[in-house]
Amino acid sequence: MSGASGHSKGSSVKDRADLALNNEFLRKAVKYTTEKLKGGKLKAMEEHGNWEEWRERGKQIRLHTIAHLDYYLNLFVDNARANGVHVHFANTAEEAVHISLSIAERKNAKSVVKSKSMVTEELHLNHALESIGVEPVETDLGEYIIQLAGETPSHIIIPAIHKNRYQIADLLSADAGETLEPDTKVLAGYVRKKLREKFLEADIGMTGCNFAIAETGSMVLFENEGNARMVTTVPETQITLMGMERIIPSWADLEVMATLLPRSATGQKLTVYMSGITGPRRSEDADGPEEMHIIIVDNGRSLQLGDPEFQELLNCIRCGACLNACPVYRHIGGHAYGGTYSGPIGAVLTPSLQKNIAEWDDIANASSLCGACYEACPVKIPLHEMLVYLRRRKVEAGHGNKLESAGMIGFSKIMSNSARFKAILKLGKMGQKLVARNGEIRLKVGPLKGWNSHRVTPSLPKKSFRDQWGTMEAEIRNGLQEMAPDMKNRMEQIVKNREKGGGNGHGHS
Amino acid sequence: MDMGTANQSHQEWLKEMEAASRAKQTSFIDGISAKLRRPMVTEPPRHPFRGAPDFWNAYEWGEQERIDRFTANFLSVGGHVERLATMEDAQRFITDKANELSAKYIVRQNQPELEALNLEGALPDAQVSVWNSDPEQFWKARAAEADIGVVIADYAAAYTGSITVLSSKDKGRSVSLLPTVLMAIIPVERLKTRLGEIMVHFDEGGRASLPAGIHFISGPSRSADIENDLTIGVHGPGVVYALIVG
Ligand code: SF4
Repeated sequence: MSGASGHSKGSSVKDRADLALNNEFLRKAVKYTTEKLKGGKLKAMEEHGNWEEWRERGKQIRLHTIAHLDYYLNLFVDNARANGVHVHFANTAEEAVHISLSIAERKNAKSVVKSKSMVTEELHLNHALESIGVEPVETDLGEYIIQLAGETPSHIIIPAIHKNRYQIADLLSADAGETLEPDTKVLAGYVRKKLREKFLEADIGMTGCNFAIAETGSMVLFENEGNARMVTTVPETQITLMGMERIIPSWADLEVMATLLPRSATGQKLTVYMSGITGPRRSEDADGPEEMHIIIVDNGRSLQLGDPEFQELLNCIRCGACLNACPVYRHIGGHAYGGTYSGPIGAVLTPSLQKNIAEWDDIANASSLCGACYEACPVKIPLHEMLVYLRRRKVEAGHGNKLESAGMIGFSKIMSNSARFKAILKLGKMGQKLVARNGEIRLKVGPLKGWNSHRVTPSLPKKSFRDQWGTMEAEIRNGLQEMAPDMKNRMEQIVKNREKGGGNGHGHS
Repeated sequence: MDMGTANQSHQEWLKEMEAASRAKQTSFIDGISAKLRRPMVTEPPRHPFRGAPDFWNAYEWGEQERIDRFTANFLSVGGHVERLATMEDAQRFITDKANELSAKYIVRQNQPELEALNLEGALPDAQVSVWNSDPEQFWKARAAEADIGVVIADYAAAYTGSITVLSSKDKGRSVSLLPTVLMAIIPVERLKTRLGEIMVHFDEGGRASLPAGIHFISGPSRSADIENDLTIGVHGPGVVYALIVG
């Protein structure tokens, strides 16, 4: 479906990481954003007492729901139907796309307004809509900008962090057909006007779903801009794409998720809008969709069910806290991960959704296993352990040698240098715990031996990560000079293509 | 005639889709049970961790503290709060603001408390529309062009600084969403400490009691996508007044 996905398989995470590293602005923006978000989060957590107790409660609710997913999902479906929703099931991405397109065709839709949804990204739905002549319009400010640029999002929460104001002004000016000042207010004003027109014209509104409440058949959306409300209020038809694991039992459970999700994502006490939509508009209502569809998507999720090592992935509430905590993500940004989901969660989720360990091994290896992601996760998913399982499975499946292929050498060089690794460990403040936790984990496999031996004796340097930033950058540069000539050629080729304006290498284009 | 036929065939298509969906539901859910390695659970499972931790459910602030905390939270995200003694004060505040800002179009929910404010009489120069009072109107457009939307909150929560509005025939979702400025009156007795005190009504009332839209609003619309600059009001109201009355 997406020609570019073939391309991204052709280039390793390291290639893309270097493109990111070359971009001074990207690094600053990612660093600034993640630090700001992280700072905000610490504050919100401090203010909010008993954070550990809330986290534990969040984990228990998710564990309970997933352990009884058949019951709760069935209950949700029955209630949603009783509310007047048309519910559909899709085992695969293709089925979900097919159902979405059938509805759009039935409705003779010319355009679909969308609010941010990782599931629709995962399904490459925009591309599919375009293929039948329907214009998909991303309406989050950042997503809209990204869509104009023809790229995929680089951060779950703030997708446009790798573009600066001048680049954005250029994109919007091209869209407007007139020159817009690179002033935030001017640019935002243009988008407000433009998107209002789009909302009023659109035949269909399309959303994801943060949570689905089984007992009442309601779907819940968290957002700051108001566009998800627009998408679910203005068009006559609403389509919601929902991962089958999004369920929680009750509104009481939503209070816990509403406490954990915004605090972990952006440090807010609550997002500006939290909406619970229970069915289409009632017959006397004067707004809201007349027809509402919910498409429940598996697309690889059930592969994690019943798998003791990965089932907890289904607990993920997509807050992005693990990204903000991850030293690797903080350094290379989201695009380098190549999939829809980036950072530590993407490193585990992407291969397990695709049941395709060999292709994605380099991603798992780009994570540092420092455990900061686990510490940050509001529902306590042991991502760092899952990364280890993933590597072990890969080796067991006979893909061990791939690690030494050109794609990985660059990154293992960076990460196997003990000084750098320790600096990263310090950032995660997890050095000692890591040793204890890894006592039980089979790590001494193949080429990972090197990593392991560095990690068991972390004597943490006094200098902070920030102090060493310059040095690390230099070392990474030096490391890369040693890369294999064919890989270098390939990367140069990618950079050239990019300059020509080809958005490939970033998913669909 | 054409439209009628199209609609009929669309309804038939929806029925076909529903039949397919019901058939698939069984295999989809069975597949999950199989992955979980047990027969499908049909009885409600015991959920010992339902909702917030106990310590939290016992948490409650006094009225003044609720007002203070709500105010502090709402201000901190860029909202405005007024503490007013009576609905007459609320009327005065809204009309003063409307005059000050030269509001041309105002849209309000169709509720007796708002009717009693008589904004129509107090603002002769503005066009005040009452949501869904005329079936011929295109109400979404009326709300989209409005300078000010006026609503009464169904609930509010101090801990998160949130206003809750429920939709109905008389209470449009658009009224709190599309106008440039939102004025939300919060009768003080509806201001709770925790979100959970609001959510409990939805659990207790059950599915059939819920309106199509339940919205928690915790400040003005915001985006932070251009160099992390906090850009206010790209979609929803960029200016929000919470008027705590009573
Ligand atoms: S794994 Fe945890 S921290 Fe990462 S996105 Fe999911 S819920 Fe958030």
